[in-house]
Amino acid sequence: MMISLLLKKSSFLQRNPLFSKPQFCFSLLSSLTQSHKFSTSIQNDSNLNSGISFLDKKNNWFSLFSLKRLEKIPSGIFCGVNFYSSQSHAAAAVEPSTSDGLTVEGILANNWTILDEDESDWKSHASSIAQSIHLIKKRLKWKKLLVRVKMLSVQLDKPDLWDDPVQAGKISREHGILTGKMNEVKKFEQELLEHIDMIKLSREENDTELELEAVKALIQMRRSVKEKELEALLAGEHDSCSCFIEVQAGAGGTESMDWASMVMQMYKKWAQRRGYGVAVVDEMPGEIAGIKRATIRVDGEYAFGYAKAEDGAHRLVRCSPFDSANRRHTSFSAVAVIPILGEGFSRYQIKESDLRIERFRSGGSGGQHANTTDSAVRITHIPTGITATCQNERSQHSNKASAMAVLQSRLDKLEMARQAQMNAQHTQSLAENSFGNQIRSYVLHPYRMVKDHRTDYEVSDADSVLEGNIDDFILSYLSASLDNDEDEL
Amino acid sequence: MKVSFIRPSLSSIFKPILFQTLPNRPVNFSKISSPPTSLKPQTPLFLKPANYRATLSDLKKWQLWAKNLATSVGTKFLDSDNGPDSALLLRELGWLIQDAVLEGPTSLSSENNPSEVVVSLRACLVDLYLLWKQRIEERRPFQYLVGCEHWRDLVLSVEEGILIPRPETELIVDFVSDVVKENEVLREGLWADLGTGSGAIAIGIGRILGSCGRAIATDLSPIAVSVASYNVQRYSLQDKVQVKQGSWFEPLKEDEGKFAGIVSNPPYIPSEDIGGLQAEVGKHEPKLALDGGATGMNDLLHLCNGIASMLRPGGFFAFETNGEKQSKFLVDYMENESKGSFFDVKVASDFAGIKRFVTGYRAT
Repeated sequence: MMISLLLKKSSFLQRNPLFSKPQFCFSLLSSLTQSHKFSTSIQNDSNLNSGISFLDKKNNWFSLFSLKRLEKIPSGIFCGVNFYSSQSHAAAAVEPSTSDGLTVEGILANNWTILDEDESDWKSHASSIAQSIHLIKKRLKWKKLLVRVKMLSVQLDKPDLWDDPVQAGKISREHGILTGKMNEVKKFEQELLEHIDMIKLSREENDTELELEAVKALIQMRRSVKEKELEALLAGEHDSCSCFIEVQAGAGGTESMDWASMVMQMYKKWAQRRGYGVAVVDEMPGEIAGIKRATIRVDGEYAFGYAKAEDGAHRLVRCSPFDSANRRHTSFSAVAVIPILGEGFSRYQIKESDLRIERFRSGGSGGQHANTTDSAVRITHIPTGITATCQNERSQHSNKASAMAVLQSRLDKLEMARQAQMNAQHTQSLAENSFGNQIRSYVLHPYRMVKDHRTDYEVSDADSVLEGNIDDFILSYLSASLDNDEDEL
Repeated sequence: MKVSFIRPSLSSIFKPILFQTLPNRPVNFSKISSPPTSLKPQTPLFLKPANYRATLSDLKKWQLWAKNLATSVGTKFLDSDNGPDSALLLRELGWLIQDAVLEGPTSLSSENNPSEVVVSLRACLVDLYLLWKQRIEERRPFQYLVGCEHWRDLVLSVEEGILIPRPETELIVDFVSDVVKENEVLREGLWADLGTGSGAIAIGIGRILGSCGRAIATDLSPIAVSVASYNVQRYSLQDKVQVKQGSWFEPLKEDEGKFAGIVSNPPYIPSEDIGGLQAEVGKHEPKLALDGGATGMNDLLHLCNGIASMLRPGGFFAFETNGEKQSKFLVDYMENESKGSFFDVKVASDFAGIKRFVTGYRAT
């Protein structure tokens, strides 16, 4: 086993005579390896390539280096399991290990104490990375993912696949994405084990410089894998989509409508803070203050993935400024978050004849009699009774198009819920956004606190939350809903 | 209506302009900055160069003043003549900012010190005060303020003397679109929009016709002809849409009997109703484009009488009317007076459910 490691090192040095000393100049290395086009030379397996180009985008120099190395070194000599073999996307792949047989699972089982990053104990870093990988796998629903990839691979291999190009496109797209995710995790495992091998090797050779570099690389990896934990929270099918956020005031008159506008304001600020595009699509103001309901469109990557955590009823407790006796009131706002499905997703087919399109809030004789910039439109989908309105565009045509987009998304959501029910998958998410589904309380009197009832996460700075600082609530919910899942991986 | 809106230092600058009695004719913003030239179409605000600067805090002061002015209206206009309420005026204010400020409305929510942030404007701050004052106090239509109307997927230049195209009228283009989709002869044929005003319908049609399809837009008013031509050019349709000056069919004589389709939104308001119109319409829009005579049917009847000879067999027509009464009358008229000349003559409703349009085909 020693031999293989030495080989690794020497073969590298042979190819790069610049490095006369056995020293790893990592940054230079990275620039060298990145300039190589390697993805097509590794395997002919197109499925694998899609996964690798995914890696390529991430520009992770170490993985590129290790891949490069794998390519040059005959796999028979190199003890690391032939990881990127054409079987690698099958669930039954052999578990990778270090030269002395340590696996990622093994590291986890060792339960090494995790110390701060600045401690140079490599076992601590390794343990932290292993835990992160474990968490990522859990969030990706690893076993299901492997089964799904296998299933898609089988479908991709069918000779009649492209008889239905739309379906084939969907399959290969999903396969590409899932393979990418899977390979990324496997790459992390591989990388971790290689680092450990390198450390052990350098110790045996008393090469402190090499050891230092390898530990550094491990710390680097510890950080990047930690970041990946977050990304893995947003692995849902529609998470990367833009979305509509709808807020509706509950019963309780002006106080409740004021609360609805506060909630909407919170989301607008949150979205702006995250750099998303925000556009008001529909807004029904209250008579005295606030809004009866409103819809905004939030544009940007993962807008839905994050915002979906806000779906449900939000409760406010405060002394109402609209109550002459200044009494304490409790009001509710219902929030619904709807993904805007892009190309490639199956969408609800709307028949033109099923639609009723009306001018909204029009009065009088209209036509030449009226000069108004109000061209609000309401579209009703007669079979389902679902409606959508838009009045914030400057022409009736645009209002109609915008309302159609909302209607389409609402119908898509309905269809998704119907299918989920059929698959009996996540019955929980079917607990629609009724006022009964209370997810969070905002108490402004007699004390100040915002508490999420799903996670028990709470903060006392209510103002900051209402200013759009809700990321912690979202993340704690997302991780709770994915990580508390009982079944392993 | 006295509204105090700025700190003394600023008001001393604006006072002479804002609190003097404004002339009866609305002052046009372009006339403030450039000498008037007759019949040269005005550039919409959003297309003007952003030659003016203001600090964000001054702009915000204006915005606050304008908001207060809009809010003070309440439902006063709505109750008196079905005019805009505060909510609508506030939305218009947002659009005015959209058109006037180079950086767009987001610049107003900058977190930097607003007295240090400088924004670029397409009209000077004084003009913005003046424009919004005209909007509220004179009920000058918003579209004349910004010099444009968003109509379908178009942004059309409009100015005093041009009827601002209405949302209802968008549907005429939809009718034509449905008709030409299934009929190649009509898709590649010659169309006419009579009394085109801003050129809205003609441009809408010009964009859905086939490669050989052409449209002629006519109007009696020289201002309309110049603005419609400008709009046609803005959408690069010079080769597709020809604008001609003249009354109804007059400019079309040489193509008599060749038209694949004729559409029009002629004046249809009965003369006696003109006095009671919403202020934005009655006080500011051209009577020529509104007043349809005693019954409001003068021009519609003239059109109905003329199209039989202008349309080719199987040619399509669509007219906008004042509503159910006129539409029904026209359908009866065309079926009885010119028996056999037309077929499939129908009434169609606008999105408000008002029986607004009459459509049909010339008999083959």
